[in-house]
Amino acid sequence: MAEPVRIQPDLKFVKELQDVGGESLKKCYQCATCSVACPLSPAENPYPRKEMLWAQWGLKDRLLNDIDVWLCHNCGTCSDLCPRGAKPGDLLGALRNMVYRKLVAPTVIGEWMSSSKHLPKLIAIPALLYLFIWWLSTGLTIPEGPIEYGKLFPGDFTIDPIFGAVFLFVCACFAGGVLKLVKSFQDLPQTFAVGVKAPPKPTLVACLIDVVKDEIATHAKFNQCGKDNSERFTGHLTLFYGFAALAIVTSVVAVAHWGGKILPFLTPMGHTPMHLTNPVKILANVGAVLLLTGLIYLTRRRMNADPAKSASNYYDWYLLGVIWAVALTGAFSELLRLAGIPTLAYPVYYLHLVAVFMLFAYLPWSKLGHLVYRTTALVYARYSGRLPLAHPEEKTFSV
Amino acid sequence: MAEKIGVYICGGCDIAAAVNIEGIAASVKNKYGGNCPVIKTDAVLCSPESVARIKADVKENALDAVCLCACSPRVKWDVFAFDVLTERVNIREFCVWSFDKQTSAPDAAKGIDNLTIMAQEYTLMGVVKLTKSSVPDPETLTTNKTILVLGGGFTGLTAALEAAAVGHEVVLVERKAELGGRALGMYKSIPLAPPYTETQDTGIDKLVAAVRGNAKIKALTSSELKSLGGAPGLYTAQIETGGAAHDYAIGAVIVATGWEPQAAEFLAPMGYGSIRNVVTAAEFEAMAKKGAIARPSDGKMPASVAFVLDVGMCLATPEAPREDACANPAEPAEGAEAGPAPYPNTESCKHLAYSSELTSLVALKQAGYLREKNENGLAMIVYDHMMVPGLNERYYKAAQDDPGVMLTKGTVAGLTETANGQIVVNCRDSLLGENIELLCDMVVLPTGMVPTTAHEPTVNLVYRQGPQFPDLGLFDGFADSNYICFPYETRRTGVYAAGCVHQPMTMAQAADDAAGAALKAVQCISSINRGVAVHPRSGDKSYPVFNFVRCTQCKRCTEECPFGALDDDEKGTPKPNPTRCRRCGTCMGACPERVISFDNYNVDQIGTMIREMGVPAKIEEGGPRVLILACENDAYPALDMAAFRKTAWSPYVRFIPVRCLGSVNAIWVADAMSKGIDGVMLLGCKYGDDYQCHFVKGSELCNRRKENIAESLKRLGVEPERVDQYQVSIDEYDRIPALIESFMDMIKEKGPNPFKGY
Repeated sequence: MAEPVRIQPDLKFVKELQDVGGESLKKCYQCATCSVACPLSPAENPYPRKEMLWAQWGLKDRLLNDIDVWLCHNCGTCSDLCPRGAKPGDLLGALRNMVYRKLVAPTVIGEWMSSSKHLPKLIAIPALLYLFIWWLSTGLTIPEGPIEYGKLFPGDFTIDPIFGAVFLFVCACFAGGVLKLVKSFQDLPQTFAVGVKAPPKPTLVACLIDVVKDEIATHAKFNQCGKDNSERFTGHLTLFYGFAALAIVTSVVAVAHWGGKILPFLTPMGHTPMHLTNPVKILANVGAVLLLTGLIYLTRRRMNADPAKSASNYYDWYLLGVIWAVALTGAFSELLRLAGIPTLAYPVYYLHLVAVFMLFAYLPWSKLGHLVYRTTALVYARYSGRLPLAHPEEKTFSV
Repeated sequence: MAEKIGVYICGGCDIAAAVNIEGIAASVKNKYGGNCPVIKTDAVLCSPESVARIKADVKENALDAVCLCACSPRVKWDVFAFDVLTERVNIREFCVWSFDKQTSAPDAAKGIDNLTIMAQEYTLMGVVKLTKSSVPDPETLTTNKTILVLGGGFTGLTAALEAAAVGHEVVLVERKAELGGRALGMYKSIPLAPPYTETQDTGIDKLVAAVRGNAKIKALTSSELKSLGGAPGLYTAQIETGGAAHDYAIGAVIVATGWEPQAAEFLAPMGYGSIRNVVTAAEFEAMAKKGAIARPSDGKMPASVAFVLDVGMCLATPEAPREDACANPAEPAEGAEAGPAPYPNTESCKHLAYSSELTSLVALKQAGYLREKNENGLAMIVYDHMMVPGLNERYYKAAQDDPGVMLTKGTVAGLTETANGQIVVNCRDSLLGENIELLCDMVVLPTGMVPTTAHEPTVNLVYRQGPQFPDLGLFDGFADSNYICFPYETRRTGVYAAGCVHQPMTMAQAADDAAGAALKAVQCISSINRGVAVHPRSGDKSYPVFNFVRCTQCKRCTEECPFGALDDDEKGTPKPNPTRCRRCGTCMGACPERVISFDNYNVDQIGTMIREMGVPAKIEEGGPRVLILACENDAYPALDMAAFRKTAWSPYVRFIPVRCLGSVNAIWVADAMSKGIDGVMLLGCKYGDDYQCHFVKGSELCNRRKENIAESLKRLGVEPERVDQYQVSIDEYDRIPALIESFMDMIKEKGPNPFKGY
């Protein structure tokens, strides 16, 4: 028999988990309906039942090192079928929130991101920063002439250095986070299937390609989970491709603009504002439409969700809210500029900058961090053999 | 004895289509025409017109009995209710609906109509039964109405108030100086009222005040019941209060003497007594009541407490019986002075297991105490089974919702003390892992509940069979008889048990139990007042009559009565106490001199019925004959149900219902065998540890007597296998036909009864 393992219950951690979205975790009575129902849970050491019990005892170390929380795509089937309303799906969400909050330094941002009471601080940072720039450029006045946002926020000296710095900061934070995450996963129990010859260990690159193919680009696993998730699936996929389009646009502009300093022929491609028929502009506008469409789907789903089955927490609403702010202020910046209403266009653009800052600068501590953490976990899960499932099962449940 | 009998043969429900009912009427007229001035056939006997006709016949012809040959007496009993002796001959279920055509085919080919023969025999048996019956005329007694309640705890107080509420005077006896019992030592109770999620005050003070303020209740504290003499309705209770004894006239008794905490020695295998900070739930409760939860080692408030509910270490296992753990530590050493036989102390480790519902609830409650007294306190509960049936599931959910109450299933393998007085609880197969350990400041072990009747007679009856309830060993001391069929009833008529002396239960359950026992006591007094049986033959007017002239003072009846109804004098002559009696007839079955009889049920009556059975001279022509004496409580309904389902059985058996197999007198079997009947089946209830006998001992006694019968048969050169007893429960209707079938096969194999034809 194995050496006894000392259990170290942590009441404080239980309460913390309850605060970040796991408030029903104590209701679980270990029937395991959730683990049976989950279409993605592996047969060996399935989740989320074990996580429910660990959470009830506040077994912090086990939970924070648990790769399985990232295998879950939060369809909510487990919570729908739970006879006690313990909402295991929400608990896994809460555990991910805990990672957003605790994984990456400076953790004070994680603290601020965990509760609405810190929201004013988070808004104040970019708001004051860009107000200062506005004051420097035009003394907080609306400039005359055709609307060009560069008049207020000159790209080369304000926008790009700030976001460049933010980008580097975020990348550094993520790098640290990914290393920490992988290290924690290394304590995973080894899974094996008796009588099955172990397949050769895949390379990390192969794993990454699989993840992009199976999960990110197609959302295949995301769609596989849950029973009626068309709204969730469509919304998330649309939003994802909206972001992808906008990322391409931003990259093109950035590369052309700064690349133009070395290779001058690139410069015109990066010149903004662009004409509406410019393919890059078309891509940008398509991206904006996708973003708004995805937002409508996802917001409607959350608003219609039965709170007895799954509850949306601050992390969910913060991310949705910020993306809404980015999308709406972005769209209106363009529309007001085209309409030629400077008194509205400039302030809206200012708000757009604030929103974009909030989306990207706090990314490692927000729910959007899953972009990196989940990808890391999914790659590692394939690398370590936790995924893909040895025996995919067809499961049908009705409520 | 009925002399003018009206015989009615119904043709409804397929009867007339299958049986020659006119032929039956003719045979009755032919044989017993003198006793039967009215013999009629009827298309539908239960129709209002026919029932009215019967009533008119009774009046017109001054009939003293009617014999209705139709359906089972278990149906339409409300339709066929007449003022005269009524016998129901069950020709529908026992003949028509269960007729086995296939077995009868060879006889039918020879022109023998087995179905009509059978219906005719049953009809004649019904007529002769009536000629041996008369209407019982019980003595109505002036009885005591006062109810004695033993025990002034939660149950006793509730029972006293319930009994007083329906108008009875109550004498409440409490041994301690104060009313309130164990509830006085409790800090809080598990929920007693909706929404059943929070602990609450026990409410014992209010209950005590209500009893004190009730003019109908005389509460005697510092008192003990010294003796309870007499019989229900006529008891004399000698109660000693502060050294002085007084007699009280009592009608019925409620025993609510409760429980005692199990001796803590039983918990020694889990470190109680050797590890300083291991305490019992009873001790923890006392700490909470006192106001401070303190570790015995340093008197400090513990930060973490493990409530260990898995007590497997203290219980015997089949692989390795822990004799030392289960043996009673209080057992007197061998060779102790011989005095009067000591009361059989039934306290054992089993009481821990029996109390598991309560210990589960108490652990949840006490985990709440810790959380209440220490905001950051951690209560860990390790259970084998979390038993929270019924509404208490709500309490469990609420308790579990507290983040500081952590639960896991696990098998506790050992407890060890650390240098600083903490305890490591080692668990196997827990939900948290295969082999885990929990570190805590204090461990609380459950307290088993031991009924007071495990230690002393309590009721102190002045009965020939002794002062205590008999056979309590079967229930490990709990004052219980068969709580599923007959809750509250003990083996002593007129004495009803309630609360934890009855079984471990919550206060909410005890309140219901108290009310139930109080109503039973009331029912007992009012039944006795009308001269009828209390239970299970509620309302039965018959009672055993003793013909002392022939009595040989063999004492079989006094010893075998399951209810201790009979006392005796110095010579051994039985002294009946009709109000203790449950009318099962066990005494009648026991008596070798056939001294005991009921007006409507007696040895001669059944013997005459047996003699009315027709036995063909040769098995080959008309088949063998088997008599089945069937217990009317379980076997008879099971037969009816089999017939409802049109299950067929041999046409060569004849049923005679009996009150209980305990009432079967050996002479009936002798009568049957000497008449040439090929076999006797005795169908009765299950006996043994999980007995189902309505009279507790009847089927068991019958089985014992059967051994003697077998001896006698052997001496006569008859195979003893021809008489056998079978245990059937009421739901085994599907098994009975096969049972009969195999018995008939055995008879076929043995051939005819050697006495046939003599």
